[in-house]
Amino acid sequence: MSREAYQVPSMGAQNAFGTDAGFGGAMAVDNPSVVYLCGECSARVPLKRGDQIRCKDCGHRVLYKERTKRMVQFEAR
Amino acid sequence: MAPLVPSQDEQQRRRIIDINAETVTNIPSTDFPGHWPGESHAWAVDQFKNTFQVDFHRNDPLEASFSLIGLDAAVANAFRRILMAEIPTLAIESVFVHNNTSVIQDEVLAQRLGLVPLKGSVEGLNWMHWFRKPGEDEDGSNASEPSDFNTVILRLDVECTKNPEADENEQDPRKLYNNAHVYAKDMTFHAVGRQESYFVDEGAIRPVHPEILLAKMRPGQKIDVEMHCNKGIGADHAKFSPVATATYRLLPDIKILRPIIGDDAKKFAKCFPKGVIGLEPVTAQEAGRGGSGYEGHAGEQKAVVQDPFKDTVSRECLRYDEFQGKVKLGRVRDHFIFNVESTGQFDSDVLFLEAVKVMKLKCARWKRGLNDLMA
Repeated sequence: MSREAYQVPSMGAQNAFGTDAGFGGAMAVDNPSVVYLCGECSARVPLKRGDQIRCKDCGHRVLYKERTKRMVQFEAR
Repeated sequence: MAPLVPSQDEQQRRRIIDINAETVTNIPSTDFPGHWPGESHAWAVDQFKNTFQVDFHRNDPLEASFSLIGLDAAVANAFRRILMAEIPTLAIESVFVHNNTSVIQDEVLAQRLGLVPLKGSVEGLNWMHWFRKPGEDEDGSNASEPSDFNTVILRLDVECTKNPEADENEQDPRKLYNNAHVYAKDMTFHAVGRQESYFVDEGAIRPVHPEILLAKMRPGQKIDVEMHCNKGIGADHAKFSPVATATYRLLPDIKILRPIIGDDAKKFAKCFPKGVIGLEPVTAQEAGRGGSGYEGHAGEQKAVVQDPFKDTVSRECLRYDEFQGKVKLGRVRDHFIFNVESTGQFDSDVLFLEAVKVMKLKCARWKRGLNDLMA
């Protein structure tokens, strides 16, 4: 199978909205932290579900996702 | 009846393309059967062998200049076009971006990488085969699998970091950070299979110019790409073209019809690039000859054609009244001065031989087609 094929996100995957009630109990089993980048100081900010969206270094409230880990193919033309 | 043979003067006249003040005349070649009544002009290989000449003016790995004398413009032009578009070379064709957080976009970076000229063992490059890509509406059943004989793998994996040893007042980002500039030399070659025996040491696949700037980065940014290089031809994409330029010009021809003497001679020489026109004193013998135009000018400077090769045929001398009717500019129809500038994958003189090889293959294919037609 090609590396680019779509993968269905597993239940344990992070949800963009921290206050998603109802699934809380099931999610608590594995609660991985996702790394974001601070929009102000470019620091790496690991966030867990329910964490406040805030940079730990500078307190900035805008965070960005990291670039996808997926490989992208281009023609050199 | 034996065919007529034109006089020496007439043959010389036919060899020259006339360059007039505002027009160019006598352009097409006429040395083919049926143009001149009674003359043969049938092409014969023996005659061609006797008259054809090659002179080298310059032969460096990256630039060659040579004259081909005694062939038709169609053939010379075919070689030029083959040089640019039909000699196979190796270039980066696919780019697999694992990570690229620099400001230069993936597709732009891929395009830049493709244009980097590569070099490596010529023996290995000749050993390599084509890589056949699946077509637009094919299922890929006749596409090639990437293998050691059709794909070369290069990697570029650089990360920009702060340089802790940098002076605190340092302003130059190249000293302030590590890998602030990504150069072609940062690409690494990874031999696969039989490539390990072909592309070793000096023969390894590497950029011709190590200092080509690919991207600029700041601390925390990263580029991690894998590149697949394939063979291709310039007709497909300019990155596959083995030459930077491949041009020819015709040898300029300058004829001084009537004497140009004294200050006029100096002015005449200034109308041409340095070294084209020389100044020589008029000899007593010339001055003594009646009707030569030199009478009573013994010891004065006269203009003589020294080296028409250096002329750019600017026609500057045709603008002045004092040279009116005294000079005739032209170009020699069958003297082609080639200039081949290699991008570095092959030596420039080898490239011309490759062009001849490709031409031979094309002719053989054409001949086979004709045979099939007759069968």
